[in-house]
Amino acid sequence: MPEHTDARALNLPWILERTRIWTRRALILALRVSRLVVTGLRHIRPGIRYLWRALLRRWRRSLEFRTVAVTIVLSMVSFAVVGAYLSNQIANNLFQERLKQAESESRYYVKQVQDTFDGSQANDQSSVITLVYDTLKAVEGNGSVIQRRYVFEAMPEQTKPRNRWVESRASDQLTVRVIPPALRKAVQESGKDQYWASTEFPVGNQDHPGIAVGNKVTFNGTVYELYLLYDLDTAQQTLDEIQNVLWAGGAALILMIGGIAWYVTRNVVSPVSHAAVVSEKLAAGQLQERMVVKGEDEVARLGASFNHMAASLQEQITQLATLSQMQQRFVSDVSHELRTPLTTVRMAAEVLFDARDDFDPINKRSAELLYNQVERFQSLLSDLLEISRFDAGAAVLDAEPTDIFQVVAHVIDGASPVAAEYGSDVRLTSRHKRIIVEMDARRIDRILRNLLLNAVEHGEGKPVHVSVAANHDAVAISVRDFGIGMTAAETARVFDRFWRADPARARTTGGSGLGLSIAAEDTKLHNGWLQAWGRKGSGSNFRLTLPLKKGGTIVKSPLQLEPADIHLPGAAPERHMLVLEAGDPPPERGSAVETGPADDPSLPPALPAAPDNDVDDHQGGTAP
Amino acid sequence: MKARILVVDDDEALAEMIGIVLRNDGFDPVFCADGGQALEVFRSSKPDLVLLDLMLPGSDGIEVCRQIRGESDVPIVMLTAKADTSDVVRGLESGADDYVPKPFKPAELVARVRARLRPGDQKAPETLRIADVTIDVAGHLVTRGGERISLTPLEFDLLVALARKPWQVFTRELLLEQVWGYRHAADTRLVNVHVQRLRSKIERDPEAPEVVLTVRGVGYKAGA
Repeated sequence: MPEHTDARALNLPWILERTRIWTRRALILALRVSRLVVTGLRHIRPGIRYLWRALLRRWRRSLEFRTVAVTIVLSMVSFAVVGAYLSNQIANNLFQERLKQAESESRYYVKQVQDTFDGSQANDQSSVITLVYDTLKAVEGNGSVIQRRYVFEAMPEQTKPRNRWVESRASDQLTVRVIPPALRKAVQESGKDQYWASTEFPVGNQDHPGIAVGNKVTFNGTVYELYLLYDLDTAQQTLDEIQNVLWAGGAALILMIGGIAWYVTRNVVSPVSHAAVVSEKLAAGQLQERMVVKGEDEVARLGASFNHMAASLQEQITQLATLSQMQQRFVSDVSHELRTPLTTVRMAAEVLFDARDDFDPINKRSAELLYNQVERFQSLLSDLLEISRFDAGAAVLDAEPTDIFQVVAHVIDGASPVAAEYGSDVRLTSRHKRIIVEMDARRIDRILRNLLLNAVEHGEGKPVHVSVAANHDAVAISVRDFGIGMTAAETARVFDRFWRADPARARTTGGSGLGLSIAAEDTKLHNGWLQAWGRKGSGSNFRLTLPLKKGGTIVKSPLQLEPADIHLPGAAPERHMLVLEAGDPPPERGSAVETGPADDPSLPPALPAAPDNDVDDHQGGTAP
Repeated sequence: MKARILVVDDDEALAEMIGIVLRNDGFDPVFCADGGQALEVFRSSKPDLVLLDLMLPGSDGIEVCRQIRGESDVPIVMLTAKADTSDVVRGLESGADDYVPKPFKPAELVARVRARLRPGDQKAPETLRIADVTIDVAGHLVTRGGERISLTPLEFDLLVALARKPWQVFTRELLLEQVWGYRHAADTRLVNVHVQRLRSKIERDPEAPEVVLTVRGVGYKAGA
């Protein structure tokens, strides 16, 4: 918009113009860059992706990187804001100064021109033309460089006087087209006021930004518009230089701020990351590891208290280790001290037992009792020692890749005399031929033998089913009997030490009452699950799940805990399930639920969800 | 002729009881209660087999085992109250052929002793080869490139068992039955430890065995 020169002129149009230029430049640059990036991306996408991931990882893992990056980005943003404000301010001042100059100059020259015109005596064509041209030429200034350009144009729509020999005239090859129409309109419509507007006009072969100041002059009764054009190119160059300096300074400043941020963060973070390294080492068992403490600042206090913590931790752990070692030694010594005389007693009892037919009835019976009870005493002792070895933490897993079927076949083989005695038929079912498991075969053998003998003993002569299955991370062996089964309360206590389902029966079937406790401990050592299910009258099912790899975790057991062969009559069933966890509790519970009614098509859907309660009760009671 | 058995045990009652059982089964027991004198008694009595308690006063049972093994291939059966892996393995590694965990039954002890005393049954002249190792079965001789390799009778039996059926993979249980004479479950660590010892003697590089190969998850077989 053209402005009234007397009013406080706004330089908005000029700014807009400049913004337009910059926007156009930025747009072109952005377009080029994006095209380059797109073509580049197509070729180096994997590299970019790798770089991006590396950066993301760095961002996640390094406090230092994050702080420096955030500092740089934030200072870039704040610098962009401040820089934009500064450059705007400078541009404004430069412009205002130039404008003021242009306005006063214009006023002066226009007055001069008008005075010359008014006082002229010329009345023939050539002298008028000469006068006008010379007068206007004088406006351009008298140096080798044109100081101001002019555009001289007769106002349209006026009666043409007789002696109007000059229609228009301009410096260089300018035409009236370089004058913004709005400015012309303002000048044409006003009285004697001076107006100005920002414009662009060609100088040589370049467009220069400039200010056009418009006035009316009268010559020989003809009203002319006289525009003086002031070149702002030098101001623009100054501004460009200032901006360049500003941006360069900004970039340097941001680099420096980044460096400072890096240095400061490093100073603060390096003790923290040192602490992290030290605590990792501590956690890994290097208890003598300590932080380096320097000075008296917060970091030093952190280090000192960290070291204090580490020291007391070390003390306690060492103490615990000593205690555990002492108990292990004790167990080991007791074991040795008890076993030697027991061996003698046992051998003596056997010698007597073998010779019992030569004794009178009283001595014979005594020899038999002695022999049997020594046997029982010995199995009790060895179970007790085994349990105390677990309690002392002295049990070690001696894992080796072994085919589970070797162990299972061996256990079934070993149990066959007992099974024959009870009239039970032990059946092995599996879709697999060979499953290699990293396990301690001795312990797994012991667990399975225990489960199988229990099943045979409580199976009432009915068949015992052994199933083996595997998925990609676990193997499961379940031992199912169809005997007397267990109630909820019994299932919940089945892994408790010295617990017997039927105290009266236990005396005859023997066993120490520690068998399943030891089995549970053995399972725990393998990071596995040992779970029991039972229903009174329908038998029970024990499921052992082991990770295929030593130290692996089980997500889901390959076998169902609750047997699918249970067919329920209409009456409310009495179903009980127990989950003894030796691995992570959450998947444990999930698997117990998973084997529940929802997944079992053979069960009516309206069953009460009793198992969960059992799980909770039991875990509260026995899970260590 | 009665086989002579040296019983090295500091517990007099147990030693006496073992003596009764052994005598009852037709052996000739000799006793030594002190580990420090075990080697002397061994030299003077020249037993056919040694029953050795792992925990002895004066000298560690394992040390005694090492001393005896240092000068003789006579079978050594350890009596151990410690069923812990490390002790059993340490004992086997120091040269014992077999072990009986306390408390044991008399029959168990006698069975172990007999298994180790199996008379060097008249073997037919037979020459076996595994890799570059030659075994003269009748002459109880193992050679590689004409150089003799000294093996204990147990190690020799283990090697012969593998060499006789080079196509077969032996499970540890099968080896326990064929070499140690166990009919029922036994400690498979016996096999592991003795295979390691055998390898340390006959393999060029025990880390990369060529004679006795491991079949993962199953057992062992003879090399090509």
